[in-house]
Amino acid sequence: MSAHAATADGHHHADGTVSAYHESLLRSPVFLGMVMFLGSEIMLFGSFFTIFFYIRFTHTAWPPEGIELPVEATGINTAILISSSFTMHWALVSIKRDQRFGLIVGLFLTLAMGLTFLSLQVHEYLNLGFTPSNNAFASGFFSLTGLHGMHVAVGATLLGIAFIRACRGHYSGAEHIGLEVTGLYWHFVDVVWILLYTVVYLL
Amino acid sequence: MTGPVHHEHGGGGPRRSVWLRGSWVRALWVSAFMGIGAALIVMGIRDLTGRTPYSAGVVQTFIMLFGGIGFTIGIGCWDYWGSYVIGRPTPEHEDHSNHGAYSWKDYFKVNTDHKVIGVQYLVTTFIFFMIGGMLAEGMRAELATPGQQYFSPGTFNGLFSVHAALMIFLFVIPAFAGLGNFVIPIMIGAQDMAFPRLNALSFWMLPVAGMCMVSSFLVGAFDAGWTNYVPLAVHGPDGQTMWVMGVQFAGASSIATAVNFLVTIVTMRAPGMTFWRMPLLVWANLATSTLVVLGTPFIAGAQFQVLFDRIMHTHFYDPTHGGNVIAYQHIFWFYSHPAVYIMMLPGFGIISEVIAIHSRKPIFGYKLIAISTVAIGVLGFTVWAHHMFVSGMAPWLRIPMMFTTMAIAVPTGIKMFSWLATMWRGVIHLTTPMLFACGFLATFVVGGLSGIFLAVIPVDIATSDTYFVVAHIHYVLFGGSVFTIYAGIYHWFPKMTGKMYDEGLGKLHFWLTFVAFNATFMPMHWLGLQGMQRRIADYPSQFGTLNFFISIMAFILGASTLVFLYNMAYSWWRGETAPANPWRALTLEWQVTSPPPIFNFDEPPQIVGSPYAYGVPGARHAVVTVHAPPQPEEVPVPVALATATREEREAIMSALKHILVVANQTVSGDRLIAALRSRAATDPVRVTVICPQNDPGDAWVVDEQDVRAATQARLDGTLAALRRAGIEATGHVVERDPYTAVMDVVEEDPPSEIIVSTLPQTRSGWLRRDLIERLRDDTKLPVEHVVSDTPEMPRA
Repeated sequence: MSAHAATADGHHHADGTVSAYHESLLRSPVFLGMVMFLGSEIMLFGSFFTIFFYIRFTHTAWPPEGIELPVEATGINTAILISSSFTMHWALVSIKRDQRFGLIVGLFLTLAMGLTFLSLQVHEYLNLGFTPSNNAFASGFFSLTGLHGMHVAVGATLLGIAFIRACRGHYSGAEHIGLEVTGLYWHFVDVVWILLYTVVYLL
Repeated sequence: MTGPVHHEHGGGGPRRSVWLRGSWVRALWVSAFMGIGAALIVMGIRDLTGRTPYSAGVVQTFIMLFGGIGFTIGIGCWDYWGSYVIGRPTPEHEDHSNHGAYSWKDYFKVNTDHKVIGVQYLVTTFIFFMIGGMLAEGMRAELATPGQQYFSPGTFNGLFSVHAALMIFLFVIPAFAGLGNFVIPIMIGAQDMAFPRLNALSFWMLPVAGMCMVSSFLVGAFDAGWTNYVPLAVHGPDGQTMWVMGVQFAGASSIATAVNFLVTIVTMRAPGMTFWRMPLLVWANLATSTLVVLGTPFIAGAQFQVLFDRIMHTHFYDPTHGGNVIAYQHIFWFYSHPAVYIMMLPGFGIISEVIAIHSRKPIFGYKLIAISTVAIGVLGFTVWAHHMFVSGMAPWLRIPMMFTTMAIAVPTGIKMFSWLATMWRGVIHLTTPMLFACGFLATFVVGGLSGIFLAVIPVDIATSDTYFVVAHIHYVLFGGSVFTIYAGIYHWFPKMTGKMYDEGLGKLHFWLTFVAFNATFMPMHWLGLQGMQRRIADYPSQFGTLNFFISIMAFILGASTLVFLYNMAYSWWRGETAPANPWRALTLEWQVTSPPPIFNFDEPPQIVGSPYAYGVPGARHAVVTVHAPPQPEEVPVPVALATATREEREAIMSALKHILVVANQTVSGDRLIAALRSRAATDPVRVTVICPQNDPGDAWVVDEQDVRAATQARLDGTLAALRRAGIEATGHVVERDPYTAVMDVVEEDPPSEIIVSTLPQTRSGWLRRDLIERLRDDTKLPVEHVVSDTPEMPRA
């Protein structure tokens, strides 16, 4: 979560010799750590996509009988989530220019859209008319969307923390690695959803 | 110990009760509270939604998940992050509470020092190694003669399942993580891992994983084999659920550690440590960590799907509802074949170090070994289905998998020949680590060759699920991985503990292990070829003689471990003191003291050459600057006072301005010495230095003798430095609290100025007790405050 506080920076001697290590964003330990972690996350989603494809390509009728997904309603939800990536970017660009207004409003909008997405998702779950134990398609559908939903929830928590800290005047044009990392995670969640929506709802 | 030490040691602020601060007591109650609480909430929700409140699988899952997380919270892994999130003030970066071990007790607490975590890993994994070994001995007891002796077939299934699971997830993988944790940051010239707190969390998830797996025996053992194939996994007893949760914790721990290693290796190498100057263990770890990051999520996914099938009644693997059974094996092996390399590549790295160092020759084919390590990692993802030749998967898939599998022999062969070429005409020192490395070369070749047999489709079909496979896996995992772990532990034992192990016992251990290992597993090849099935508690009586022999040898193999444990425990306790570099090695970890200082290096080392230039005259790997430790025997006598008569002495003393210095941790601080020298430059001064040692209300005295000796050494160093600068200086360690000690001197020999040197505000107990203000008020003398930061600490 707040990984940036846990970097080894704290363990270097006070003589400043170590700062030369951090030359670029990718050499920043926290950012790189998040990139690696997202590699791991891609593979976790990959394992669920694998089983989903397996089920799909062993079925002749797709989606199985009696199952209908709300493609349009979820399309709107998709648009909301994609927009939230742009507001996240806006927040990040703003703080890089030391514009606190853009940061706070951008974070707030991102958070609000994330929570809207989640609640619409829950609403969809309750009105689908099938449950994970109906058949293998339903299992795959719920596990993929559920896994993604959990990631949105984690992302929203990170955004919430970032928002509170931003309101308290934390972060600056020079120091915003926590936001950088949260933003990266949020974009990841977004990209996974685009893939998921395409594979599960559209194809 | 004194105030500042206390603060560094036990964390800031007044000490909270043992129930509230990070401790085993808090770990137990938070774990129980969260586990049972989560189970009750889930049961409540089930009741409200009209289902039966109690479902064994669901309740177990939530108890394991939240109980496990609760344990890591209670023990203190999340304290810092918790404070950060809720906006409480967090300790400054300079705060090193819970960093480094000052007493054996510190090994039982959350610690952020990679060296402490490394040792914690190794000790924990050997506990699970012992448990797993006992399970194996149980199996061998049952198999000693045909027929059913001690265990029912069901219990036998549990024995081999938990044996394999413990050995893989709780021994080999984390033991390498432990060795890597200790060695790698020092090898690359870093002061710690990139994320020390995450590192601690990774470690503390391990005991949770182990408890899940071991306690599965209590609720109907996990008995589907470590591969946990469906449908057995879905319809098996409740132990399956526990095992799945255990794998999730172990997997999360692995992934976190791997991310940590990758970031550490990429971002924290010392100046001059290019990729082509990294020791091969670092290369191996880089490849392994990549495999863990990309592979482990697949077993997590597969086990989540099994868990959902069990407790949520999903149908991933249920063909009657459109699921697919073979899909499980694909997903599982897509991780678990790379896992074989996760369990082997770090071992290759260790062997490269050990063989080069103990043969006194540059490693042969450095770049090829590094590249072949990466090649094994890449190829490792393309061979998974060779575990499934008889599973009923698409038959055409066998052919490419056979070729890729055999192709892996090429990079492995490159390494094998490189090691042999390294030893060729070397000056071989047959120390215990070298013996294990040689033993590894011999046994791993056998395991590798039987691996080629098994890659060939017709041979594999004939030997599937026979003891030939058991022999193969043990030749690569015991003769391979475990031998390298032993080699690594013996090799770095002097560095880890500062003591030498007993060479005689080490050699005894090696020969017992080597002979008993081959006698145990070599005959299994024959049994397998004759058709003896694995994973079955009984067998046809024609195999009786050989099995009896195997069982006897297996008991000897088990007993040989006791020699190792005794050697390690006794040597750590009473062993000879180890020099900094007993093997005359070039890599960085041997250029620092044994055991290394808390932050490894005084200054980032400069890397100037290859780590393996043994026998090359004048070759250097790195320039390591060590700040000279204070040397008591070189303390010069006071400059003028030494030859003075009594009258002269009094005259000198009265002519000089008297400065009283009060310092303990920081007595050798540069700033303090600089402050004194600047005073001496303007006035003739004499200096009295006192190091108050006694601190009322401090319960953290660990080893008074050691602490006092360390303080004395620091004081002597400072006195020497002052005298070299021509300043009259005397000093002593006093058994008083700082205030009383100062007042005593002020009464006897009034100074004209007092200098108090402390650690920074956040870590100084003296400052928290307002020492400066009290001295100013009570002595009416000018009191100067010097803040120093001396991270190096004496090790208890």
